Amino acid sequence: MTCQEAIAILADYLEMALTPSVLEELERHFAGCEPCRAYLATYKKTRDLAAAANRVEMPEEMKRRLREFLLEQLRQNG
Amino acid sequence: MNGDDLALLASLRAGDAAALEALMRRYSSRMYRLAYGITRNQADAEEVVQDVFVTIVRKGQTFEGRAALGSWIYRVTTNAALNKRRGKRLELETSLEEHLPGFDADGHREGDRAWVLADWSATPEHELLAGEARAVLHRALDALPGHYRAVLVLRDVEELSNEQVAQIVGESVASVKSRLHRARMALREQLTRQLGSKA
Repeated sequence: MTCQEAIAILADYLEMALTPSVLEELERHFAGCEPCRAYLATYKKTRDLAAAANRVEMPEEMKRRLREFLLEQLRQNG
Repeated sequence: MNGDDLALLASLRAGDAAALEALMRRYSSRMYRLAYGITRNQADAEEVVQDVFVTIVRKGQTFEGRAALGSWIYRVTTNAALNKRRGKRLELETSLEEHLPGFDADGHREGDRAWVLADWSATPEHELLAGEARAVLHRALDALPGHYRAVLVLRDVEELSNEQVAQIVGESVASVKSRLHRARMALREQLTRQLGSKA
């Protein structure tokens, strides 16, 4: 397995979606390839960081505005 | 459809404000996260959430017997956010290709030894979510095409399955998986350019 082939299946690896034989081949590649181990570690960290950055909360003021607007819509609807 | 959702929609049809508030508590946070994740703009995300809820208030009866309300909400929120972004933010998007890893003919990653060995993963998350690293991450997220960001949020934040995301965005599972992987690689590349030398 080349580095290019290993990197192409990282998402499947993290989802534990690889067949046992491909998983064995990939782990053998990692064992002998320091750049791919670094790539895997930073790929996982990137996934976690992007998720953390995207985990935003709706501001309280916006919640209040939305609630008031929708309650008015409901009254008009009725 | 979830029995609770059905009961809430029935109450909403009768004009029950408590049902509307319960639906807002259940869905507005995840709608906002998704809308903001795609539009990357608070005001646009607010409009999207508001528009989707107005549809629920006005057309609540049409949901009866449909698939899960949650899936419908994710689908219309995604589409509304992508439409909102389409007109405004194309100028920020760059080609994803220039941020994907390059490979030699023999399948090794291109670049000098320091680049291919760069590993900043031990840096604590709170440090990476502050200062210049945070700015790089947010610029990189801004530069992703909207369809890629939608998949990133639905998979990595909302933690839906590839199959659920495929249904929501109307693409194949293979396309969802490819977008997710390419988005992560493009973000990783840009973070590594900033952080690699400091690791």
